[in-house]
Amino acid sequence: MTKALIEIKHLVKKFGDNVVLNDISETINQGDVIVVIGASGGGKSTFLRSLNLLNQPTSGEIDFEGTDLTSLSEKQLDQVREKMGMVFQQFNLFPNMTVLENIKLAPMKVKQADDAAATAKAQALLKQVGLEEKADAYPSSLSGGQMQRVAIARALAMEPDVMLFDEPTSALDPEMVGEVLKVMQDLAKSGMTMIVVTHEMGFAREVADQVWFMDAGVIAEKGTPEEIFTAPKEARTKDFLSKVLAQ
Amino acid sequence: MATPVHAADDSLAKVQQKGTLVMGTSPDYAPYEFLVNQHGKNVVVGMDVEIAKKIAKDIGVKLVIKQMDFDSLLVGLQTGKVDMVLSAMTPTDERRQSVDFSKIYYKGGQDIVVNKADAKVYKNHQSFVDKKVGAQTGSLQADLVKKQMPESSLLGLTKVTDLILALKSHKVEGVVMEEAVASAYVQNDNQLALIPGKFDLGSDENGTAIGFAKGSTSLVNAANRSIDAIQKQKLLPQYLKQAGRYMQTNTTNTSMFHYWRFFAKGIGYTLLITAISVLIGVVLGVFLALMRLGKVKVLHALAVAYIEFVRGTPLMIQVMFVYFGIGIFIDIPALIAGIIAVSLNSGAYVAEIIRGGIESIPVGQTEAARSLGLSQRLTMQTVVLPQALRNIWPALGNEFISLIKESSIVSIIGVTDLIYQLKVVQTATYKGVQPIIVAMVIYFVLTFGLSKLLGHYERKMKHDEGTN
Repeated sequence: MTKALIEIKHLVKKFGDNVVLNDISETINQGDVIVVIGASGGGKSTFLRSLNLLNQPTSGEIDFEGTDLTSLSEKQLDQVREKMGMVFQQFNLFPNMTVLENIKLAPMKVKQADDAAATAKAQALLKQVGLEEKADAYPSSLSGGQMQRVAIARALAMEPDVMLFDEPTSALDPEMVGEVLKVMQDLAKSGMTMIVVTHEMGFAREVADQVWFMDAGVIAEKGTPEEIFTAPKEARTKDFLSKVLAQ
Repeated sequence: MATPVHAADDSLAKVQQKGTLVMGTSPDYAPYEFLVNQHGKNVVVGMDVEIAKKIAKDIGVKLVIKQMDFDSLLVGLQTGKVDMVLSAMTPTDERRQSVDFSKIYYKGGQDIVVNKADAKVYKNHQSFVDKKVGAQTGSLQADLVKKQMPESSLLGLTKVTDLILALKSHKVEGVVMEEAVASAYVQNDNQLALIPGKFDLGSDENGTAIGFAKGSTSLVNAANRSIDAIQKQKLLPQYLKQAGRYMQTNTTNTSMFHYWRFFAKGIGYTLLITAISVLIGVVLGVFLALMRLGKVKVLHALAVAYIEFVRGTPLMIQVMFVYFGIGIFIDIPALIAGIIAVSLNSGAYVAEIIRGGIESIPVGQTEAARSLGLSQRLTMQTVVLPQALRNIWPALGNEFISLIKESSIVSIIGVTDLIYQLKVVQTATYKGVQPIIVAMVIYFVLTFGLSKLLGHYERKMKHDEGTN
């Protein structure tokens, strides 16, 4: 039994004359782990950022849990965004707050949680990502991998229904990629709906329910990891995979 | 338009009703008007003050003295800041166009002050061919130089004290001054000498009168009656003698330490104006910056217009506008007017500093906050502004330091800040350079000390939040 969580209808995004997303219609079901791959400039990040309207679509609909986000006011949108956790390539931790304060900020300010409850929750999440001893550290004293794990904990603190990952390991030194992917893998196992834009083909192969290959503003091909990695149908998919897997 | 003979204007009635007669004067012109220190307070004394007291007494009201720059006096009359102006003012035709004058109350000759060493070189006003001669800007003396000394070039300065300084440093060879003032300076400074001007003085241009707002006929008449009485009782020589005594007490101790209270008061006002203005400026600046960065077009346009206009006009004009311009509708004391003007000015500059600070915060910070469900307002309050303020702390400190210096412009409307007190001490001691050096050192100690202090806190803040 599958239930549609996000329905994307005829999504178009233009920057001036440049069409970045060209009429995308897809459905994401609850519990899906979708990995979006493709060459740079194919529109992957723009697609992901359109889902929570950080990028305003030029036309089309994003239906999230039955509501068309493009029709909402700014205020209503704030209430939806808290259910769509997002993790960025550049971590975007707040440098003026400790790790604990980073995680507690949104629960306390948006959900009006009291300090004790927010702290307990934050500490539990830090334990989940293996960083409970860093609660009082400032982001500047953390490694990239640690920062990204805090960012994941921060997004989880709002108890989102879906997590969006925008190239979460691209800014990391190679030795730190593993620790972040491990946290994401655990999250996938726990049943979280996830949409992950990444270049980590190993992660896609092991964790994804579906792999979407994006090129020139459309989802050029999609399927199970098995289908995409062992028997791609499209020429451009083959071309892309032969390049990344050759490395 | 025919004016009835018994045109009853209410200028006198108004003064009697409020019970005070406000005199505007620029007290840097001994023996007419100057400042002395009595029991630690600056008091305006001199011949003009005695005359004003007599007029006030005759119409049965209290005299209030407002100090301002000579150049601002007529504006003060027109905008109702003062009821009358006694400041050794000559009733020229130009001035008569904008204000009314009483009859002439004092006629003195026009003399020229020179360095003692040159006293034999110069005989009268015709001796200064191809030389530079000083006179007070906008004064009768400046007119005399222009008209009757065509082969000399004129250096116009606002303050007599500055003119004497220019003379001593040979920027000018002579200074044309009213007789009584000239003799006061020569008596108090043995490096100066007096030569007769021998100017061709017209009847009206030779003398001083009291200025009133246009149409204050009843008040002018009352003043004229008092002037008649003064002349009948021969009170002027007494007034001058009294002024002379004040000048001697003034010059007995001219050490700068003796005047420390003057400087201390000036520092107090300078810091007060600066501190309040920076506080208001930061609050105003935050709002302006948010308006400018916001999406509401009207607010954006308003903020841009305000910022550009304020930054595109001199602070001096803004100070005058607030005091005289807005003063037409509400009577604002000079100190408040000065603080308002400096605050409004500072707000525009702080707004740009804050805008720069906000724009320097990576867009990812906003995106992260918004993706967590924080509203635009909460994002600004909890994420962007705290970081922006930390980044711009040094720039805000610099703004505070430059305001200490720039706020000195409020002295033109008579706020007793450090610059104003410097001029008071110059006038009181007949010493030009020493007070300048003292004020300069004070300004430097203030700004340098503050920048060290701010630097200390800046490092401390960085330390507290870890290296970044």
